[in-house]
Formats: sequence, C-alpha cells, structure tokens
Amino acid sequence: MSDSDESAVAINPGAAAVALFGVLAGIILSSAGGFPTPAGFPADAAIVTNIGYALFDIGQGTVPGEGFLATFLIIAIALDVALDSAVYLAKREDDGTIISALTGGGNEVVDGEVAGTADTEAEAALDRGGDD
Amino acid sequence: MVPVEYYLLLSSAVFCIGLYGVLTRRNALYFLMSVELMLNAANINLIAFSLVWGNLTGQVFALFTIALAAAEVAVGIGIILVLYRNFGDIDVMDAATMRW
Repeated sequence: MSDSDESAVAINPGAAAVALFGVLAGIILSSAGGFPTPAGFPADAAIVTNIGYALFDIGQGTVPGEGFLATFLIIAIALDVALDSAVYLAKREDDGTIISALTGGGNEVVDGEVAGTADTEAEAALDRGGDD
Repeated sequence: MVPVEYYLLLSSAVFCIGLYGVLTRRNALYFLMSVELMLNAANINLIAFSLVWGNLTGQVFALFTIALAAAEVAVGIGIILVLYRNFGDIDVMDAATMRW
C-alpha cells in the first residue's frame, strides 16, 4: 500500500470502533425490555455431564439440549487438518532439502535418510544436517 | 440473576476492542489476538443466551467455537512463520504480493 493510499483512509479506526459500540449499546439498551428473564439451569443439574451427553448424543441428559455427535466428528477432522496444515507450513526448505518437524528428533532429512546416520566420513561430509 | 443485556454489552465491548485491534495493528500476532477477542465476544453471546433459554445448545456451540479458534490459531501461526521467513518481519502490510 502506498502513502497516497494510506492518506485516502480518512476514518479513524478508534472512532469507528467506538461508534460501532455506541450503535450496538443503543440497540441493546433500547430493546432491554424485550429480552425474557433468564430461565437459568436447575440448581442440582450437572452442567458438564449434560454437555458431555449432548456432545456424544447419548440422550440421557436432564437439561434440555440437542445432540451434536456429527458436529463433534466434523470438528475433530477440522482440528486434524489444522494440525497437518501447521506442520506443513512450519516445514523449512534449505538448499533443496526439506527440514520437517516430524523427523526423528528434528533432524534434517537428506535424500530420504535421517541426517546424522552416515556410516563413513565421506557420507558425513555430504550431510548438511542441523539448523546452521 | 444478571439480566442478559449486561452480557450483550460486555460482548459488544469485547468485539469492538477486537475490531479496533484488527484495524490498527500491523503485527500479525496482535492481529491474531484481536481476531480471538472477536471470536470470544461471540462465545459470550452464545453462553448468555444459553442461560436465558435454559438450554445447553449454546454452551456446546461455544465449545465448538473454541475448537475452531484453536485450529485457526494453529494455521495462523504457521502462516506467520512463513511470513517471517519470506519477508523478515511479521508486518501484515508487507505481504502485498503472493509469492512462494
């Protein structure tokens, strides 16, 4: 973004955020009588237990709720994808070699082998392992 | 019992603080934290209305939102890492071009 583009943005971000809060607060307070009195939960209800029942769609809960087993599984897959993505993004390439976070002890992979396993000095000289 | 309006006001305030951070911060880590504030504002709303209706669905939704926020942070930090390698800085304004 060039300087001329920055000068074209005349709205102060702080003022915009405060103005948005003002609008939201005005709407909330003007409709204050429209919200029902909080029903709350039974005093003897085990909330965490009932959340567990709802998560796995067991249907034995005493507090009203729906089953979320399919959602739970989809979120689990999404978390798995995120973990794989983070590992992929954290991978570093130096001199054509790939340094991955999932090699043994964080060692560099050179030509399909774990670095530092060279048998001879000649092989060790070719090893560009490490984070140097 | 606390009226729901107070929860909504708190949620609005947290959301606007997050919005201010998104609009002003150039450091990618602060940017990510501001997005988290906005997500947590949504969580406050979900749990407040769970209390209003006496239904656990809102709390379960909040749990799912927290899980998705964790996934977002994992990918976000990976992107910040790549940003630092390619540009030597984590200023979000530096990444004006798409390159590998």
